[in-house]
Amino acid sequence: MKRIVVLVSLLVVASILLSACGGSTAANHLEAIKEAGVIKVGTSADYPPFESVDENGNKVGFDVDLMTEIAKRLGVELEWVDMPFDSLIAAVQEGKIDASISAFNYSEERDQTIDFSDAYYTSEDAFTVAEGFAGTITNPEDVAAYKIGVQTGTTQDSWLTDTLVATGKLPEENLFRYDRVDQAMLDLQNGRIEVMMSDFVPAQALVEELGGLTIVYNGVLSSGPMNIVIPNGDAELQQAINDILKQLQEEGFIDELAVKYFAE
Amino acid sequence: MLRSPAPTLYPMLSNFFSYIVQGTAITIGVTLVALPFGLLLGLLMALVHTYGGKIPNRLAAIYSLLLRGVPPIVLLFILYFILSGKVINLTPFWAGSLSLGIVSSAYQMEILRGALLAVGGGQMTAARAIGMSRLQAIQTIVLPQALRLAIPPWSNEASIVLKDSSLVYALGVPEILRRAQQLSATTQQPFLAYGIAALIYFVLVFATNRALDYLSERTKLPTHP
Repeated sequence: MKRIVVLVSLLVVASILLSACGGSTAANHLEAIKEAGVIKVGTSADYPPFESVDENGNKVGFDVDLMTEIAKRLGVELEWVDMPFDSLIAAVQEGKIDASISAFNYSEERDQTIDFSDAYYTSEDAFTVAEGFAGTITNPEDVAAYKIGVQTGTTQDSWLTDTLVATGKLPEENLFRYDRVDQAMLDLQNGRIEVMMSDFVPAQALVEELGGLTIVYNGVLSSGPMNIVIPNGDAELQQAINDILKQLQEEGFIDELAVKYFAE
Repeated sequence: MLRSPAPTLYPMLSNFFSYIVQGTAITIGVTLVALPFGLLLGLLMALVHTYGGKIPNRLAAIYSLLLRGVPPIVLLFILYFILSGKVINLTPFWAGSLSLGIVSSAYQMEILRGALLAVGGGQMTAARAIGMSRLQAIQTIVLPQALRLAIPPWSNEASIVLKDSSLVYALGVPEILRRAQQLSATTQQPFLAYGIAALIYFVLVFATNRALDYLSERTKLPTHP
């Protein structure tokens, strides 16, 4: 009888201790995030259209909408932490933030210290011309022979400036910078420019919408695949985010976002 | 059509202006934590350096040398990762502000040390001769004079800390400069964005310096010119 009492009290004590432990230490980072009910995501909100602030200081952009949806599907609140781009990777490494989305391109060098999700978006570039365009573009650099339009401050703008204008292949006066891609596409229809360089997804949308235009080349020139940064070796969070990204890709959510943010 | 500004720019700017002004509260907050914290720490180190024994004196000198020999942003990062690590876990605001205070304490220490020395050893000797303890002499004779002498050079440090508070944005605290960067990125109007930031900093520094000038004037001793 005495033994049973001791045994039962031991079990009670053990179960209290175990439950106390279970409450404070989650099995892994993903569990910890779910337990806290909030994921802290870092971004550098100065890179429209991927991430920026609107006139009320709210975060807006492609990455912002995407991460909001990911957090929703993880079943947690999203807390944004705004930092300069250079601080983001260090902050993920140090565990100050759970992940970071800021139009990161994969690089082997970065992969040494942190991990990447699957690519959520590969920004392919496209050259669009008016139907009946007489020239030929087989090689990206062939566009240097024409009057070319681009959106100011985009990666395409840098690509054209660095690889064609700076090397003297494209005269500066033949590069036309526009505020919006759709304005440029209208000028392309009207023959004011001969080639328009932009992101592929919005180009496709505009070609369909405006008519009389056709895409003659698409490929990765100016940027490449974009990935979410997560802590090194964090397999569970990586898997969870990758699964959601796959769903979003299949549902067309990401293409819709691309049209929403890159078409204007 | 080329590079035409978006038609909605101006209403947007007035909203943005208020967005940057909200950052001003953070800048002031950081300064109000860093400056007094640095003053306390700096005063302690200055007293140790001036009146402490041989070894404390050395340690205080090394403290000052190390902290002033490293760029504030580097120290800020190192201190931030200590103050906001696994053991002590402060928010970026507190970690950033206290780190800035520690950086500033070394400079404030030198300002106060200069002021303590300017009071002169004769006063200490005289105080001791009439039977005061060292601590009493520091408290009632030397320090009241030294603090007054320190105000003008200290106002210099105050404006430096106010402007250096922009460094905490590297830790993710969205003060004036960070908000100006965001405004610049969204509107593509860098001159305007940084212009607003410069104006706010100028007003803050100007007001601080005038207030300290006034304090200096009000507390001036008749024995001092």
